Amino acid sequence: MMARLCKVIFVVAVLALSLVACTKQDDTVIRIGAAGPMTGDQSKMGMDLKNAVELAVAEWNEKGGVLGKKIVLLAGDDQADPKQAVSVANKFINQKAVAIVGHWNSSCSIPASKNYNDANIVMVTPATTNPYLTVQGFKKVFRVCGTDDQQGRIAAEYVIKSLHPSKIAIIHDKTAYGQGLADYFKKALGDKVQIVYYGGIIQHDPDYKAVLTTIKEKKPDLYYFGGIYPEAGRLVRQAQEVGMNIPMVTGDGVFDPTFINIAGKAADGTYVTFGKEPAGLSSAKAFLEKYKAKYGESGPYSIYAYDAANIILSAIEKTNSTDGAKVADYISKTTFRGAFGDISFDKNGDVTQAPYVVWQVKDGKFQQIP
Amino acid sequence: MFTQQLINGLALGAVYALIALGYTMVYGILQLINFAHGEVYMIGAYLGIIVLGMLTASGVTAYSLTFSLLLTVLISMAFCALYGAAIERVAYRPLRKASKLAPLISAVGMSIILQNFMMLAQGKEYKNLPPVLPSIGLNILGANVSPAQIFILSSSVLIMIVLHLFVSRTRLGKAMRATSQDRVMAGLVGININQVISITFMIGSALAAVAGVMATLYYGVVHFFMGYLAGIKAFTAAVLGGIGSIPGAMLGGFMLGLIENFGASYISSVYKDAFAFIVLILTLLIRPAGLLGEKSVDKV
Repeated sequence: MMARLCKVIFVVAVLALSLVACTKQDDTVIRIGAAGPMTGDQSKMGMDLKNAVELAVAEWNEKGGVLGKKIVLLAGDDQADPKQAVSVANKFINQKAVAIVGHWNSSCSIPASKNYNDANIVMVTPATTNPYLTVQGFKKVFRVCGTDDQQGRIAAEYVIKSLHPSKIAIIHDKTAYGQGLADYFKKALGDKVQIVYYGGIIQHDPDYKAVLTTIKEKKPDLYYFGGIYPEAGRLVRQAQEVGMNIPMVTGDGVFDPTFINIAGKAADGTYVTFGKEPAGLSSAKAFLEKYKAKYGESGPYSIYAYDAANIILSAIEKTNSTDGAKVADYISKTTFRGAFGDISFDKNGDVTQAPYVVWQVKDGKFQQIP
Repeated sequence: MFTQQLINGLALGAVYALIALGYTMVYGILQLINFAHGEVYMIGAYLGIIVLGMLTASGVTAYSLTFSLLLTVLISMAFCALYGAAIERVAYRPLRKASKLAPLISAVGMSIILQNFMMLAQGKEYKNLPPVLPSIGLNILGANVSPAQIFILSSSVLIMIVLHLFVSRTRLGKAMRATSQDRVMAGLVGININQVISITFMIGSALAAVAGVMATLYYGVVHFFMGYLAGIKAFTAAVLGGIGSIPGAMLGGFMLGLIENFGASYISSVYKDAFAFIVLILTLLIRPAGLLGEKSVDKV
């Protein structure tokens, strides 16, 4: 009896599986992928990205979709892990996505970009700032944010001009983004300032006091950190605990309120390079209001993701095609009116204007330095 | 700088030592490595953030910080003690007569279950607690000893003294020692073995809870995965000190904290995690019984 029951269950299971396998991808919809870290400690960034793309897709669907078809959003969680990013990319390719908004981390975008480019899929990243992404010669890869060499240069110029340090320490989190940014900053400093410490830290490690104490001993006037907000938050908090009261200068990866939550009062005085405040732009107003009504306060990169999705969808509409090569060609030649202002791309796929400005944390808030 | 690194290392070591005690006590009695122990530490840390958050929201923390810290530690200890007893009852007791590998695998399974349970219950994100204690404390020889470090060092030393007295002076402690020497014989002379084992798990878990609350206060971030690495490092500390030996676990914990800190500052901060495992490998190669461990006689 038992054996028979098992057999029946087995047959049903096999049938069910083969049914799933036979389900054909229907071609009556257009699939757009959104990829980023949606779980783990950087999950907020991935969700900010996905929400913004979802909002853009919903707006297009209200107007009747694109090319007369409904747009479907596919979400892919890369867990900020390069290996996962490639598997997300393969999944999107199998699901016949026509274009991707993502990924968030440089270490994820760079390996995934090859898969997309080879599969004739357009990829527009809202947040990957490592310069290497767009110099690989991939015609279908774009970014709507700036790059780390620009960012590192602006940070270095600001530091030299306004803070007049004689000694600087530099740390990074060993990722493509963090170490890349730290290196560009170091390069931009040239030999104008003495670099007293340069080294990496381990991501996810709770305790950075050892390295901070070493740095304190070298008496720098400030320290630069290439990395993301969870580590930055712990660093500034523990720096104060070992009695090191010098400001941290860091990049866009730290630009998130969670940084201030982790660090508390210790966050005050931190300098961060980031894009201009979108709240002041008239073109961004509609987006910011809609986003807030649907998902709450928008994240630092939400508006970039929203623009990336709109660029892709309007390019598909204008070229009347979902062919990656055609869409990419159109994107590279056109100036788009985005929520964040006019966006056009250079021959590599980078934005022609990358407006980084310096922000500082004051009274528990990021404030743009005029 | 040396003083500062020493204090940083001792504070880190105190957390390892408290977790290592749980490993070593359970090993002493059951010859079982309780791999789910790191997760109990993680649960303790989550409880710390939840209880302290609730106390802060209700204004108790503003009224009396010492009282709310004490209350947080006690609540977390109580919860984790229950977790410890439940883990033993569910995952180990049914397998006590099975081969030695079975409870070990059960322990790994328990660890995965608890991690995922916490991920589903509390979310995948880092939870953070804004600093409750001020960052500037005593100045000792140019080093800043923060109030969190004072709290960690003083309470862990106090707890270790109490634990030592408990094991060496009380009736229950004597029963624990007897059970660890020979479980069958202890049962024959009238010791309630199951009760002793349950209590051992409860004490070990309560100590891990203290370590968890300390980590919450000290670092301000908790994550469902934090128990894994902390657990392995505490296990290393227990092996270094001699697994099964209570003073050994304390010594091993403090030593590991110091090795990690000095290694990270004088050699390379990138290899900080590697130092713990180098220590583990060297201990197993050179002195498998650990610093204070006795040479084990195989019980056949």
